Amino acid sequence: MLLLQLLINGLQVGALYALIAVGFSLVFGSTRVFHFAHGSAFTIAAYVFYYVFSVAQVHWTIAILGATAAAVLFGVMLDRFVYAPIQVHEGSFFTLFVASFGTAIVVQNLIGVIFGRSFVSVTTPLSRSIEISPGLFVSPLSGIAIVVAVLFFGGLQFFLMRTHVGMGLRALSENPELVRAYGLSPRRLSTMVFALGSLLVVPAAILSAASSGLSPAIGHHVMLISLAATIVGGVGSLRGAACAGLLLGMAENLALVYFEPQWSEAVTFIVLFLFILFRPSGFFGRAIAH
Amino acid sequence: MFAYILNLATLICINGVLAITLNFIMGYAGIFSLAHAIFFGVGAYSAAYFALHSSASIFLAVPAAMLVAAVLSLVLALPALRVRGEYFVAASLGLQVLGVTVFSEWKSITGGLGGIIGIPPVELFGHAVTDPVQFLLLASGCLALVILITNTLLRSSFGRNLKAIRDSESAAHSFGKNVAAIKTLSVVISSALAAVAGALYAFYLGFINVESFMLDTSTLLMAMVIIGGTGTLLGPIVGAVLLMLLPSLFSYMWFLPQTEIGSIQQIAYGTAMVLLMVFRPGGIVGSGKGDRR
Repeated sequence: MLLLQLLINGLQVGALYALIAVGFSLVFGSTRVFHFAHGSAFTIAAYVFYYVFSVAQVHWTIAILGATAAAVLFGVMLDRFVYAPIQVHEGSFFTLFVASFGTAIVVQNLIGVIFGRSFVSVTTPLSRSIEISPGLFVSPLSGIAIVVAVLFFGGLQFFLMRTHVGMGLRALSENPELVRAYGLSPRRLSTMVFALGSLLVVPAAILSAASSGLSPAIGHHVMLISLAATIVGGVGSLRGAACAGLLLGMAENLALVYFEPQWSEAVTFIVLFLFILFRPSGFFGRAIAH
Repeated sequence: MFAYILNLATLICINGVLAITLNFIMGYAGIFSLAHAIFFGVGAYSAAYFALHSSASIFLAVPAAMLVAAVLSLVLALPALRVRGEYFVAASLGLQVLGVTVFSEWKSITGGLGGIIGIPPVELFGHAVTDPVQFLLLASGCLALVILITNTLLRSSFGRNLKAIRDSESAAHSFGKNVAAIKTLSVVISSALAAVAGALYAFYLGFINVESFMLDTSTLLMAMVIIGGTGTLLGPIVGAVLLMLLPSLFSYMWFLPQTEIGSIQQIAYGTAMVLLMVFRPGGIVGSGKGDRR
């Protein structure tokens, strides 16, 4: 019974991780920006939702809209005012990474100053777990998480495969020069990628806020997970990132059978470490030059 | 007031050693490690353990700490040989998280979250260094020694090999350089010297716990190197002094809420990192143009 419970929890967590990882993988794969502040978009969305819904007590649809707007705005602004000026004079991965890293530090601490560094939680009627059979608790949120993850992933695939802009985005990851030659602006596509990538963290942010609560440092954890999932899944493969996210969520929960909870994050990183050592291109990745 | 300045100066020395050793691999070998605090921690825990169970003499405890850190640093060298850039940052981040978990869970050695208390003062030729002034002298002596060692190494053929690898690994390889050995050695040297800072820290405070060796510390060290100027000799020292003075500077600003000083400091250096990368990627000391790829 414990195993089944952990499996269900793993599935819920994994679905959320998959969503987060796909957003990061999309950004990293198509723009090659090591977008460390991806976790910050998550934190911002989650805290805006918390503030509007739990503190200001406004209807949940408005809270979700607010969270979405905040996350997308953050992603676009960051691309426009931080990444773009750097990319003009230098393309070094490290310079972009440091800028992104600095942003993540600022966001984490600003949120800490504004909302306090302690743990906050959002209670919704859906957060309560229901005992469906003796000893097995499932909250409606698990179902929602899985459905939302599938919907968003399907929507993203459709967008990337079937729409004109989506094809442009995929082309951007292949060859920015060619994109320019076809009369599309790599700059505008890049902004688009950041908007989309940040949008993808919103459902995960809201669902995590409602199911397990928030702290300003959560962005770090989110970032670590997306990074791990992107590399394990293979850079450039969204399907890989989604699968790896799901896998990491499951592994983290199933590890509880053998290890104490403090070790769950370590388990994720042993998986990541082994992948980097033995198969840096991940499950589905193209071979990388190292 | 005097005691306060002494304390600050000692901490600047310790962080200076850390920043210089991190710059050694970041600026010259192109290994961007986010796990430097782990080797700081390994040094501190090993020195504390050694001092408690065997001898607190600086000539025994510090080499012991260096040895442990050097051996463990091979774990960091492994991914450094396999991958570059983003992948290595990810691996080092993983190592950092893993290290913190081990520090807080291996209770018999590290004392868990509570840490190790009652570390004896360090002994120099049988004389226990308890006086803060003497300790500052000791710490600045170590800082000078570390500066001397790293500078000598960087000016030697070893340093030139490192820079060659940073600029083009395949070119260095084709000139017959043993890339793997040089990279591994640079990681080992950097980590062993970082352990010196760890040992000093443990002896200075007489108490250590995992809080000092978390990702925040690695971040701070990286910020010191970057803000000062990656790949310059003076940069990490300038960065260390600046970032250590920052909190005390803020505590003089009466209008800031005192409970938020830590956060405000982090916001300040986060912002500095972003602005520097946009306007001056080489750091304060570095040339205006970034010379990294």
